[in-house]
Amino acid sequence: MRVLVRILAPLLGLALAAVGVLGVVEIVTAWLQPGRGGDGLLVPWRAWQRALDTQLWATTPVKITGIVLGVVGLLLLIAALAARRHDVPLRPPAPHVTVTTSPQALARMVGRRVRAADAVSGASVTASRRAVSVRAEGWEGTVVPPSTDGPAETPTDTRADADTPGLADSVRADVESLLDDLPLAHRPRVAVSVRALGGPR
Amino acid sequence: MSQPTDVGPAPAADPRAERRSRRAVARSAGRERRVVGLIGLIALLVGAGTALLAFGVFGSGRAQRPLLDPILVDALRSQALISRIVALVVCVVLVVAGLVWAVRALAPERRPDLAVDAGPDTSVVVTSSAVAEAVAGQARTLPGISRARARMVGDEREPALRLTVWLAEDADVAEVCRRIPEEVLAAATDAFGGRVLPVAVRIEADTAEGPRVR
Repeated sequence: MRVLVRILAPLLGLALAAVGVLGVVEIVTAWLQPGRGGDGLLVPWRAWQRALDTQLWATTPVKITGIVLGVVGLLLLIAALAARRHDVPLRPPAPHVTVTTSPQALARMVGRRVRAADAVSGASVTASRRAVSVRAEGWEGTVVPPSTDGPAETPTDTRADADTPGLADSVRADVESLLDDLPLAHRPRVAVSVRALGGPR
Repeated sequence: MSQPTDVGPAPAADPRAERRSRRAVARSAGRERRVVGLIGLIALLVGAGTALLAFGVFGSGRAQRPLLDPILVDALRSQALISRIVALVVCVVLVVAGLVWAVRALAPERRPDLAVDAGPDTSVVVTSSAVAEAVAGQARTLPGISRARARMVGDEREPALRLTVWLAEDADVAEVCRRIPEEVLAAATDAFGGRVLPVAVRIEADTAEGPRVR
Protein backbone atom coordinates (compact mmCIF):
# COMPACT_ATOMS: atom_id res chain seq x y z
CA MET A 1 0.00 0.00 0.00
CA ARG A 2 2.95 2.32 0.64
CA VAL A 3 4.09 1.79 -2.95
CA LEU A 4 0.63 2.74 -4.21
CA VAL A 5 0.62 5.90 -2.11
CA ARG A 6 4.13 6.79 -3.29
CA ILE A 7 2.96 6.45 -6.89
CA LEU A 8 -0.33 8.28 -6.33
CA ALA A 9 1.12 11.27 -4.49
CA PRO A 10 3.18 12.73 -7.37
CA LEU A 11 0.46 11.88 -9.89
CA LEU A 12 -2.17 13.70 -7.84
CA GLY A 13 0.21 16.60 -7.32
CA LEU A 14 0.85 16.88 -11.05
CA ALA A 15 -2.88 16.63 -11.76
CA LEU A 16 -3.61 19.48 -9.34
CA ALA A 17 -0.83 21.54 -10.89
CA ALA A 18 -2.23 20.90 -14.37
CA VAL A 19 -5.70 22.01 -13.28
CA GLY A 20 -4.16 25.13 -11.76
CA VAL A 21 -2.22 25.93 -14.95
CA LEU A 22 -5.37 25.53 -17.03
CA GLY A 23 -7.24 27.81 -14.67
CA VAL A 24 -4.56 30.49 -14.72
CA VAL A 25 -4.33 30.40 -18.53
CA GLU A 26 -8.09 30.62 -18.98
CA ILE A 27 -8.63 33.35 -16.40
CA VAL A 28 -5.83 35.50 -17.78
CA THR A 29 -7.07 34.92 -21.33
CA ALA A 30 -10.60 35.90 -20.40
CA TRP A 31 -9.26 38.97 -18.65
CA LEU A 32 -7.04 40.13 -21.50
CA GLN A 33 -9.35 39.13 -24.37
CA PRO A 34 -12.93 39.80 -23.26
CA GLY A 35 -14.03 39.67 -26.90
CA ARG A 36 -13.72 35.88 -27.11
CA GLY A 37 -17.35 35.60 -26.06
CA GLY A 38 -16.77 33.21 -23.18
CA ASP A 39 -14.83 30.61 -25.12
CA GLY A 40 -11.55 29.73 -23.52
CA LEU A 41 -8.15 29.25 -25.05
CA LEU A 42 -7.86 25.54 -24.17
CA VAL A 43 -11.19 24.70 -22.52
CA PRO A 44 -14.60 25.06 -24.24
CA TRP A 45 -16.20 26.90 -21.33
CA ARG A 46 -19.24 27.96 -23.39
CA ALA A 47 -20.18 24.38 -24.28
CA TRP A 48 -19.59 23.27 -20.67
CA GLN A 49 -21.79 26.10 -19.39
CA ARG A 50 -24.63 25.12 -21.73
CA ALA A 51 -24.43 21.51 -20.57
CA LEU A 52 -24.38 22.43 -16.90
CA ASP A 53 -27.27 24.88 -17.40
CA THR A 54 -29.53 22.13 -18.68
CA GLN A 55 -28.36 19.32 -16.39
CA LEU A 56 -30.38 18.97 -13.18
CA TRP A 57 -28.96 17.69 -9.89
CA ALA A 58 -31.49 14.86 -9.77
CA THR A 59 -30.39 13.31 -13.09
CA THR A 60 -28.74 9.91 -13.21
CA PRO A 61 -25.33 11.05 -14.53
CA VAL A 62 -24.96 13.42 -11.59
CA LYS A 63 -25.93 10.68 -9.12
CA ILE A 64 -23.44 8.27 -10.68
CA THR A 65 -20.71 10.93 -10.75
CA GLY A 66 -21.28 11.71 -7.06
CA ILE A 67 -21.17 8.05 -6.06
CA VAL A 68 -18.06 7.35 -8.14
CA LEU A 69 -16.29 10.41 -6.75
CA GLY A 70 -17.20 9.40 -3.19
CA VAL A 71 -15.97 5.84 -3.71
CA VAL A 72 -12.70 7.02 -5.25
CA GLY A 73 -12.22 9.42 -2.33
CA LEU A 74 -12.91 6.63 0.17
CA LEU A 75 -10.40 4.35 -1.56
CA LEU A 76 -7.76 7.09 -1.51
CA LEU A 77 -8.44 7.70 2.18
CA ILE A 78 -8.17 3.98 2.97
CA ALA A 79 -4.94 3.74 0.97
CA ALA A 80 -3.46 6.68 2.88
CA LEU A 81 -4.48 5.26 6.26
CA ALA A 82 -3.27 1.74 5.44
CA ALA A 83 0.13 2.90 4.16
CA ARG A 84 1.68 3.11 7.61
CA ARG A 85 4.74 1.06 8.46
CA HIS A 86 4.17 -2.39 9.92
CA ASP A 87 7.63 -2.86 11.41
CA VAL A 88 8.17 -5.18 14.33
CA PRO A 89 10.38 -3.34 16.84
CA LEU A 90 13.16 -5.11 18.69
CA ARG A 91 14.75 -4.01 21.95
CA PRO A 92 17.40 -1.39 21.13
CA PRO A 93 20.89 -2.58 22.07
CA ALA A 94 22.13 1.01 22.49
CA PRO A 95 20.38 4.36 23.01
CA HIS A 96 21.16 5.68 19.55
CA VAL A 97 20.30 2.42 17.77
CA THR A 98 16.83 1.37 16.63
CA VAL A 99 16.33 -2.24 15.58
CA THR A 100 13.33 -3.45 13.65
CA THR A 101 12.38 -6.41 11.55
CA SER A 102 9.58 -6.98 9.11
CA PRO A 103 6.49 -9.11 9.76
CA GLN A 104 7.58 -11.27 6.83
CA ALA A 105 11.00 -11.88 8.39
CA LEU A 106 9.43 -12.73 11.75
CA ALA A 107 7.02 -15.11 10.04
CA ARG A 108 9.90 -16.72 8.16
CA MET A 109 11.85 -17.26 11.40
CA VAL A 110 8.82 -18.79 13.11
CA GLY A 111 8.10 -20.96 10.08
CA ARG A 112 11.64 -22.32 10.04
CA ARG A 113 11.47 -23.21 13.72
CA VAL A 114 8.07 -24.88 13.41
CA ARG A 115 8.99 -26.88 10.30
CA ALA A 116 12.17 -28.11 11.96
CA ALA A 117 10.08 -30.36 14.24
CA ASP A 118 9.83 -33.99 13.15
CA ALA A 119 6.09 -34.12 13.72
CA VAL A 120 5.37 -31.16 11.42
CA SER A 121 5.04 -31.78 7.70
CA GLY A 122 4.22 -28.20 6.75
CA ALA A 123 3.26 -24.86 8.20
CA SER A 124 2.17 -21.41 7.13
CA VAL A 125 2.75 -18.41 9.36
CA THR A 126 1.49 -14.85 9.44
CA ALA A 127 3.02 -12.38 11.85
CA SER A 128 2.68 -8.81 13.01
CA ARG A 129 3.98 -6.89 15.98
CA ARG A 130 0.91 -7.98 17.95
CA ALA A 131 0.21 -11.53 16.89
CA VAL A 132 1.77 -14.60 15.36
CA SER A 133 -0.57 -17.07 13.75
CA VAL A 134 0.62 -20.55 12.81
CA ARG A 135 -1.28 -23.12 10.76
CA ALA A 136 0.57 -26.40 10.87
CA GLU A 137 -0.10 -29.90 9.72
CA GLY A 138 1.61 -32.99 11.00
CA TRP A 139 1.27 -36.10 13.09
CA GLU A 140 0.05 -36.36 16.63
CA GLY A 141 1.93 -38.48 19.16
CA THR A 142 5.53 -39.56 19.52
CA VAL A 143 7.86 -41.17 17.07
CA VAL A 144 8.98 -44.66 18.03
CA PRO A 145 12.11 -45.83 16.23
CA PRO A 146 11.70 -49.06 14.35
CA SER A 147 12.75 -52.10 16.36
CA THR A 148 15.21 -54.51 14.90
CA ASP A 149 12.78 -57.42 15.10
CA GLY A 150 9.68 -55.47 14.08
CA PRO A 151 7.85 -55.68 10.79
CA ALA A 152 9.99 -54.47 7.95
CA GLU A 153 7.19 -52.63 6.12
CA THR A 154 6.70 -49.91 8.82
CA PRO A 155 9.87 -47.87 9.20
CA THR A 156 8.48 -45.80 12.08
CA ASP A 157 5.53 -46.06 14.38
CA THR A 158 3.43 -43.18 15.72
CA ARG A 159 2.09 -43.71 19.21
CA ALA A 160 -0.34 -41.40 20.94
CA ASP A 161 0.38 -41.09 24.63
CA ALA A 162 -1.60 -39.30 27.34
CA ASP A 163 1.60 -37.79 28.77
CA THR A 164 2.90 -36.63 25.38
CA PRO A 165 2.03 -33.08 24.33
CA GLY A 166 -0.17 -32.91 21.27
CA LEU A 167 0.87 -31.36 17.98
CA ALA A 168 -0.67 -28.00 18.82
CA ASP A 169 1.11 -27.84 22.17
CA SER A 170 4.37 -28.88 20.58
CA VAL A 171 4.10 -26.21 17.87
CA ARG A 172 3.11 -23.58 20.41
CA ALA A 173 6.09 -24.50 22.58
CA ASP A 174 8.42 -24.14 19.59
CA VAL A 175 7.01 -20.71 18.76
CA GLU A 176 7.16 -19.54 22.37
CA SER A 177 10.74 -20.77 22.61
CA LEU A 178 11.69 -18.78 19.51
CA LEU A 179 9.95 -15.67 20.84
CA ASP A 180 11.89 -16.10 24.08
CA ASP A 181 15.10 -16.05 22.06
CA LEU A 182 14.18 -12.99 19.99
CA PRO A 183 14.71 -9.59 21.65
CA LEU A 184 11.26 -8.36 20.66
CA ALA A 185 10.13 -5.06 22.20
CA HIS A 186 6.56 -6.36 22.50
CA ARG A 187 5.78 -10.03 22.73
CA PRO A 188 3.09 -10.97 20.21
CA ARG A 189 0.19 -13.27 20.96
CA VAL A 190 0.54 -16.75 19.57
CA ALA A 191 -2.32 -18.56 17.87
CA VAL A 192 -1.82 -22.11 16.66
CA SER A 193 -4.13 -24.24 14.60
CA VAL A 194 -3.14 -27.73 13.50
CA ARG A 195 -4.38 -30.35 11.10
CA ALA A 196 -3.48 -33.85 12.15
CA LEU A 197 -2.42 -36.19 9.39
CA GLY A 198 -3.17 -39.87 9.41
CA GLY A 199 -1.03 -42.65 8.05
CA PRO A 200 2.68 -43.22 8.29
CA ARG A 201 5.19 -40.38 8.37
CA MET B 1 26.40 14.20 -3.90
CA SER B 2 25.16 16.41 -1.12
CA GLN B 3 27.07 18.82 1.03
CA PRO B 4 29.31 17.30 3.70
CA THR B 5 27.91 16.93 7.15
CA ASP B 6 29.62 18.32 10.18
CA VAL B 7 27.99 16.84 13.22
CA GLY B 8 29.04 17.06 16.81
CA PRO B 9 29.49 14.03 19.02
CA ALA B 10 26.12 12.77 20.19
CA PRO B 11 25.78 11.89 23.84
CA ALA B 12 24.88 8.29 24.55
CA ALA B 13 21.33 8.94 25.72
CA ASP B 14 20.50 11.95 23.56
CA PRO B 15 16.73 11.79 22.92
CA ARG B 16 17.27 13.55 19.60
CA ALA B 17 19.63 10.79 18.52
CA GLU B 18 17.02 8.21 19.48
CA ARG B 19 14.38 10.06 17.48
CA ARG B 20 16.71 10.34 14.49
CA SER B 21 17.52 6.65 14.63
CA ARG B 22 13.80 5.83 14.62
CA ARG B 23 13.27 8.11 11.63
CA ALA B 24 16.10 6.39 9.79
CA VAL B 25 14.34 3.02 9.79
CA ALA B 26 12.72 3.74 6.44
CA ARG B 27 11.98 6.65 4.20
CA SER B 28 8.99 8.47 5.60
CA ALA B 29 5.80 8.36 3.57
CA GLY B 30 4.04 10.77 5.90
CA ARG B 31 3.87 13.65 3.45
CA GLU B 32 2.61 11.44 0.62
CA ARG B 33 0.03 9.88 2.92
CA ARG B 34 -1.20 13.31 3.98
CA VAL B 35 -1.53 14.47 0.36
CA VAL B 36 -3.38 11.36 -0.77
CA GLY B 37 -5.52 11.34 2.37
CA LEU B 38 -6.43 15.02 2.03
CA ILE B 39 -7.40 14.68 -1.63
CA GLY B 40 -9.32 11.50 -0.81
CA LEU B 41 -11.19 13.20 2.02
CA ILE B 42 -12.12 16.14 -0.19
CA ALA B 43 -13.28 13.80 -2.97
CA LEU B 44 -15.28 11.76 -0.47
CA LEU B 45 -17.02 14.82 0.98
CA VAL B 46 -17.76 16.35 -2.43
CA GLY B 47 -18.95 13.04 -3.86
CA ALA B 48 -21.13 12.26 -0.85
CA GLY B 49 -22.58 15.79 -0.88
CA THR B 50 -23.31 15.58 -4.58
CA ALA B 51 -24.99 12.18 -4.24
CA LEU B 52 -27.06 13.28 -1.25
CA LEU B 53 -28.17 16.42 -3.04
CA ALA B 54 -28.94 14.49 -6.24
CA PHE B 55 -31.03 11.92 -4.33
CA GLY B 56 -33.09 14.72 -2.79
CA VAL B 57 -31.87 14.43 0.79
CA PHE B 58 -31.64 18.23 0.99
CA GLY B 59 -35.10 18.64 -0.57
CA SER B 60 -36.63 17.65 -3.87
CA GLY B 61 -36.84 21.28 -5.00
CA ARG B 62 -33.09 21.71 -4.61
CA ALA B 63 -32.46 18.52 -6.58
CA GLN B 64 -34.56 19.83 -9.49
CA ARG B 65 -32.39 22.91 -9.98
CA PRO B 66 -29.66 22.99 -12.68
CA LEU B 67 -26.08 22.16 -11.78
CA LEU B 68 -24.91 25.64 -12.72
CA ASP B 69 -27.36 27.48 -10.54
CA PRO B 70 -28.45 30.86 -12.03
CA ILE B 71 -28.33 32.42 -8.56
CA LEU B 72 -24.67 31.46 -8.22
CA VAL B 73 -23.87 32.63 -11.76
CA ASP B 74 -25.53 35.98 -11.14
CA ALA B 75 -23.65 36.41 -7.87
CA LEU B 76 -20.33 35.72 -9.59
CA ARG B 77 -21.12 38.08 -12.45
CA SER B 78 -22.07 40.87 -10.08
CA GLN B 79 -18.62 40.57 -8.45
CA ALA B 80 -16.63 39.73 -11.57
CA LEU B 81 -13.34 41.29 -10.50
CA ILE B 82 -13.30 39.70 -7.05
CA SER B 83 -14.38 36.34 -8.52
CA ARG B 84 -11.55 36.42 -11.05
CA ILE B 85 -8.96 37.37 -8.44
CA VAL B 86 -10.12 34.63 -6.06
CA ALA B 87 -10.13 32.07 -8.88
CA LEU B 88 -6.68 33.19 -10.00
CA VAL B 89 -5.28 32.91 -6.47
CA VAL B 90 -6.83 29.47 -6.02
CA CYS B 91 -5.33 28.28 -9.34
CA VAL B 92 -1.88 29.65 -8.47
CA VAL B 93 -2.04 27.90 -5.09
CA LEU B 94 -2.99 24.67 -6.87
CA VAL B 95 -0.04 25.00 -9.26
CA VAL B 96 2.47 25.71 -6.50
CA ALA B 97 1.14 23.09 -4.07
CA GLY B 98 0.82 20.44 -6.77
CA LEU B 99 4.35 21.01 -8.07
CA VAL B 100 5.84 21.06 -4.58
CA TRP B 101 4.06 17.81 -3.68
CA ALA B 102 5.15 16.14 -6.92
CA VAL B 103 8.77 17.26 -6.67
CA ARG B 104 9.08 16.22 -3.04
CA ALA B 105 7.48 12.85 -3.72
CA LEU B 106 9.77 12.17 -6.68
CA ALA B 107 12.98 13.46 -5.08
CA PRO B 108 15.41 10.67 -4.14
CA GLU B 109 16.29 10.18 -0.51
CA ARG B 110 19.34 12.19 0.52
CA ARG B 111 22.69 10.58 1.22
CA PRO B 112 24.68 13.13 3.18
CA ASP B 113 28.44 12.92 3.33
CA LEU B 114 30.15 12.91 6.70
CA ALA B 115 32.68 15.57 7.67
CA VAL B 116 35.19 14.29 10.17
CA ASP B 117 36.67 16.75 12.64
CA ALA B 118 40.39 16.75 11.80
CA GLY B 119 41.47 20.02 13.30
CA PRO B 120 40.95 23.73 12.60
CA ASP B 121 42.87 23.82 9.31
CA THR B 122 41.99 20.43 7.94
CA SER B 123 38.78 19.21 6.41
CA VAL B 124 38.18 15.50 5.98
CA VAL B 125 35.01 14.44 4.25
CA VAL B 126 33.95 10.82 4.12
CA THR B 127 31.52 10.21 1.30
CA SER B 128 28.24 8.55 2.07
CA SER B 129 29.10 5.58 -0.13
CA ALA B 130 32.40 5.08 1.74
CA VAL B 131 30.59 5.10 5.08
CA ALA B 132 28.00 2.68 3.76
CA GLU B 133 30.57 0.30 2.30
CA ALA B 134 32.68 0.32 5.44
CA VAL B 135 29.75 -0.39 7.76
CA ALA B 136 28.18 -3.01 5.50
CA GLY B 137 31.51 -4.76 5.01
CA GLN B 138 32.09 -4.86 8.76
CA ALA B 139 28.58 -6.20 9.32
CA ARG B 140 29.11 -9.00 6.82
CA THR B 141 31.97 -10.33 8.92
CA LEU B 142 29.65 -11.14 11.83
CA PRO B 143 28.57 -14.77 12.10
CA GLY B 144 24.94 -15.26 11.17
CA ILE B 145 24.79 -12.35 8.72
CA SER B 146 24.65 -13.51 5.13
CA ARG B 147 24.17 -10.12 3.50
CA ALA B 148 24.36 -6.50 4.66
CA ARG B 149 23.62 -3.15 3.10
CA ALA B 150 24.10 0.31 4.60
CA ARG B 151 23.37 3.86 3.52
CA MET B 152 23.50 7.32 4.98
CA VAL B 153 20.11 8.99 5.38
CA GLY B 154 18.76 12.23 6.76
CA ASP B 155 20.04 15.65 5.86
CA GLU B 156 23.28 17.56 6.25
CA ARG B 157 22.46 18.78 9.76
CA GLU B 158 21.04 15.53 11.10
CA PRO B 159 22.54 12.51 9.36
CA ALA B 160 21.88 8.95 10.35
CA LEU B 161 22.80 5.50 9.17
CA ARG B 162 20.47 2.77 7.95
CA LEU B 163 21.84 -0.75 8.12
CA THR B 164 19.92 -3.69 6.69
CA VAL B 165 21.19 -7.17 7.49
CA TRP B 166 19.93 -10.50 6.19
CA LEU B 167 20.29 -13.31 8.69
CA ALA B 168 21.22 -16.86 7.80
CA GLU B 169 18.94 -19.66 8.88
CA ASP B 170 21.05 -20.61 11.90
CA ALA B 171 21.65 -17.04 13.09
CA ASP B 172 21.17 -16.04 16.72
CA VAL B 173 19.17 -12.83 16.41
CA ALA B 174 19.87 -11.64 19.94
CA GLU B 175 23.59 -12.22 19.48
CA VAL B 176 23.59 -10.33 16.19
CA CYS B 177 21.70 -7.44 17.78
CA ARG B 178 24.24 -7.34 20.60
CA ARG B 179 27.31 -7.52 18.38
CA ILE B 180 26.25 -4.94 15.78
CA PRO B 181 26.67 -1.90 18.07
CA GLU B 182 29.64 -3.43 19.89
CA GLU B 183 31.66 -4.42 16.86
CA VAL B 184 30.26 -2.90 13.66
CA LEU B 185 29.12 0.49 14.86
CA ALA B 186 31.93 0.90 17.38
CA ALA B 187 34.48 0.27 14.64
CA ALA B 188 32.73 2.76 12.39
CA THR B 189 32.65 5.33 15.17
CA ASP B 190 36.40 4.92 15.73
CA ALA B 191 37.08 5.15 12.00
CA PHE B 192 35.06 8.32 11.57
CA GLY B 193 36.70 10.34 14.29
CA GLY B 194 34.66 9.21 17.25
CA ARG B 195 31.40 10.61 15.96
CA VAL B 196 28.33 8.66 17.02
CA LEU B 197 25.69 8.44 14.33
CA PRO B 198 22.08 7.46 15.03
CA VAL B 199 21.60 4.07 13.46
CA ALA B 200 18.54 2.14 12.36
CA VAL B 201 19.13 -1.58 11.95
CA ARG B 202 16.71 -3.53 9.82
CA ILE B 203 16.79 -7.30 10.26
CA GLU B 204 15.56 -9.51 7.46
CA ALA B 205 15.54 -13.30 7.20
CA ASP B 206 17.45 -14.56 4.21
CA THR B 207 15.16 -16.26 1.74
CA ALA B 208 17.47 -19.21 1.10
CA GLU B 209 15.35 -21.99 2.56
CA GLY B 210 16.58 -25.41 3.51
CA PRO B 211 15.20 -28.61 2.00
CA ARG B 212 11.45 -29.01 2.59
CA VAL B 213 11.69 -32.81 2.53
CA ARG B 214 13.50 -34.54 5.34
